[in-house]
Amino acid sequence: MKTATKNPYNASMLAVAIPASTILILLVIVSIGAEWIAPYDPLKQSLREALQSPSSVHWLGTDNLGRDVLSRLIFGGRIALISSLEATLIAVVLGVPLGLFIGYRGGWWDWAVMRLVEAVVSIPGIMVAIVIIAILGPGLHRAMIALGILYSTAFLRLARSVVLAEREEVYVKAARVIGASSNRILLRHILPNIAPPLIIQVTLTIGAVLLAEAGLSFVGLGVQPPGASWGTMLNTAATYMALNAFLAVPPGLAIVITVLSVNLLGDVLRDSVGRGIAVSVKPTTPTAKFAESTTTTSQPNADDILHIQGLQVVVNSKDGSEFPVITDLSFSIKKGETLGLVGESGCGKTITGLSILGLIGTGGRVTHGTINLNNTELTAFSTQQMEQIRGDEVAMVFQDPTTSLNPAFTVGDQIAEVLRVKQGMTKKQAWARAVELIDRVGITRPAERAKAYPHELSGGMAQRIAIARALSCNPKLLIADEPTTALDVTIQQEILDLFRDLQDEFGMAILFVTHDLAVAADICDRVCVMYAGELVEMANIDELFATPRHPYTAGLLSAMPHASDRKPPLPTIKGTVPVPKLWPTGCRFSERCDYSQKACEQLITLTGTTSQVRCIRANEINLGASI
Amino acid sequence: MGDKPLIEINDLWVTYWARSAFQLRSKPFHAVKGVSLSIKAGQTLGIVGESGSGKSSLANAVLGLVPVESGTIRFDQHELSAMKTRYPAAVRKQIQAVFQDPFSSLNPSMTVEDIISEPLRVHTKMSNDQRRDLVVELLELVSLSKDHLKRHPHEFSGGQRQRIAIASALALQPKLLVLDEPVSALDVSTQNQIINLLYERRDALGIAYMLIAHDLALVHHISDRIAVMYLGHIVEEGPADRVYKNPAHPYTKALLEAVPLLDPAKQRARRAARKAQPAYDTPRDAQVGCPYKNRCAQVLPKCQTQAPTPFSVKGGGVASCFLVADAQPTSEAL
Repeated sequence: MKTATKNPYNASMLAVAIPASTILILLVIVSIGAEWIAPYDPLKQSLREALQSPSSVHWLGTDNLGRDVLSRLIFGGRIALISSLEATLIAVVLGVPLGLFIGYRGGWWDWAVMRLVEAVVSIPGIMVAIVIIAILGPGLHRAMIALGILYSTAFLRLARSVVLAEREEVYVKAARVIGASSNRILLRHILPNIAPPLIIQVTLTIGAVLLAEAGLSFVGLGVQPPGASWGTMLNTAATYMALNAFLAVPPGLAIVITVLSVNLLGDVLRDSVGRGIAVSVKPTTPTAKFAESTTTTSQPNADDILHIQGLQVVVNSKDGSEFPVITDLSFSIKKGETLGLVGESGCGKTITGLSILGLIGTGGRVTHGTINLNNTELTAFSTQQMEQIRGDEVAMVFQDPTTSLNPAFTVGDQIAEVLRVKQGMTKKQAWARAVELIDRVGITRPAERAKAYPHELSGGMAQRIAIARALSCNPKLLIADEPTTALDVTIQQEILDLFRDLQDEFGMAILFVTHDLAVAADICDRVCVMYAGELVEMANIDELFATPRHPYTAGLLSAMPHASDRKPPLPTIKGTVPVPKLWPTGCRFSERCDYSQKACEQLITLTGTTSQVRCIRANEINLGASI
Repeated sequence: MGDKPLIEINDLWVTYWARSAFQLRSKPFHAVKGVSLSIKAGQTLGIVGESGSGKSSLANAVLGLVPVESGTIRFDQHELSAMKTRYPAAVRKQIQAVFQDPFSSLNPSMTVEDIISEPLRVHTKMSNDQRRDLVVELLELVSLSKDHLKRHPHEFSGGQRQRIAIASALALQPKLLVLDEPVSALDVSTQNQIINLLYERRDALGIAYMLIAHDLALVHHISDRIAVMYLGHIVEEGPADRVYKNPAHPYTKALLEAVPLLDPAKQRARRAARKAQPAYDTPRDAQVGCPYKNRCAQVLPKCQTQAPTPFSVKGGGVASCFLVADAQPTSEAL
């Protein structure tokens, strides 16, 4: 397998962060040491040397009064730094606490403050600043107070919106149960979560203040002449544009570069403190070359609808390398058969379903193996060809019907649309057929229900609609990914019965993905048990439940809540499913297995034909008795 | 304390007032309708029901997260329903909770140490060292180690997060722990690990559990008594074994039978006995009569107009169903 050595994500972050922070650090140093660094006094006039072009004496030339532009630029940097920090600080100190308070308290306070804020932001910002300056009088610090007040509205709204979102989180509920006071919840629990958007807002504000300061000074409300700021310099440059156009270049570039650096650095900072970004784990074992299927390559049988052979799927990791999430996966489904794909989360069940549909997305790809659907090889298909197959030949039902249906359209529309696109029906035909299908999936008053939006239906009802949509083009294969997991048990039973009923009528094969072995016992003819991206056992349903041969299957069976009616300790499988990067080289279950031996560290192959197991001790251990 | 239960809930109603943009008057939605329950110290009451049965609202009312509309909740010697969600610290530290979703119940910006020590910071004046020692001890009780102290929640698996939540809930040694679907977000192999941990901690510390779940079998493993909720009502209550093995209410029976058997042959036979049903489409909320009448297979004429009161069931407990009353015509008691 090919492994990329570069790490584009971190590399691009550094490529931005290093120059941006260098520029800003330089700006700080230069501003602090302006007196020593600047070659001339920024205010020292020399009319004889006015409006000179850059030379060895005056590196950036001189202005209309013969003052050294470089020196003025350096002293102007100090003003830029102080003023932007001053205004931003005022904005944060004013906006954040007030936003937190009104967001958490809500009610009258929230209403009153928000109306005021809306009034302020409805007027152009610079106008507000000018009004405030008119009250306070001109001058840099007063201008910055004005800007601080103006920009505090952005911080206020940001803090408020974060609080409104976070206060609904379960961890806030948990903090209330602990007995934490409102102040404590606000400051200790919610405030830290505001950091990522706050950083972005701060950098945006610093940039905005820099520009606003230049603007205000430009119109004479900020730094007063003869003081040097980038804004006043631009002001001068504008006046003498005809005589010396170069005057505008140094302050203009300084503003652009500084604002750009601050914003870019802000982006990088936000990404690095963003919450919930997992620290990348170094694989303890080198990303192994996973052996090609050692089982003999079989051809699809005549009555196979789906035949998967030696499938390997890899996904991109954040550091730029690829790692496998499914290896050496082979199975087939016969016409009208229901095959269960069983395993816990992280075992690769869903990815298997998505790779059949060609929907893995840009984050991953199929590297090995074949997917043969109804005698058509799908792995080589283009996106357009796959679109043809989807819906017509193979369709899917997802776990959560309330999110897999589009909330903006009626359920009837969503079914009719498939029929129009795929089967070329007229609008009227498609609608009539949609109502028929809705009736067929056991929904009473179908004509009326077809006009309902998804949120108007219960979960069970919405799942019936999703099933009707999947079956609208009579697919040969239906992939059902945990279709009953989000439903109550009594509704689950109804949906399982519906699947079976529809299969009798439409004759489609079903790939039924579930973590629940009891559901598999109800609906499946045959079951593939997956663990850590590979098939560990495959057997007919009766055989699998009566005599499980892989220790993982046996473990899952005995851990089912209904498996026993004893008091704890209940049987468990120790540990958890390893993440793909940390798969052991040999048997991937060995670390959790009570039967593992030294020999389990080598590559284990799948053995058997009609029923298969990936365990070297399958024939010597007796697992049936343990349940 | 003697025989007096640790917590006693009497005729509790929890009501939400929903107001939409074009309505002047709020419309009431009764999530919990006249529930009466009690839990003895150190015992576990399992509360089972489907989504919308009001079980989480009941838990939130006990935790003081939603106000009580009417009825009483007595905990120890405190009258909670009168406090209108403002529980004093003395009550708060006695009632702790573990919630369903371990991915949002832990603050993503806090370390494990912060999370577990938070209740201690709020309620005790321990020194930093004392607190650290206790946190390490709690971590070890839930099979984690002090290496995990400085990590953030996103570095842990679902099962591990739930262990952290449990450690935090146990920090103050509460008398009552409310467990709202504590394992339903976890994989099967991890579920039992958490159930075993809860069971072991309960026996070691003598805490009472109010265990809310949708899976009767799971609840049965660890509960002393089980209550079954349907649309805000408790339809059956009794000793765990009796409710699980000899359910009296048709709804409890339906819940148990809806879970497929792990024996495919037996499941086939059970399945053959029923046919695919159309989607349930009558209004769920029965205003008069028995709340379950619209879905009940054994509905009687009087169920349409008369709401059954709790009738005592052979083997312990009660069920609100006329079939139970007819089977034992002499007994009618709460």
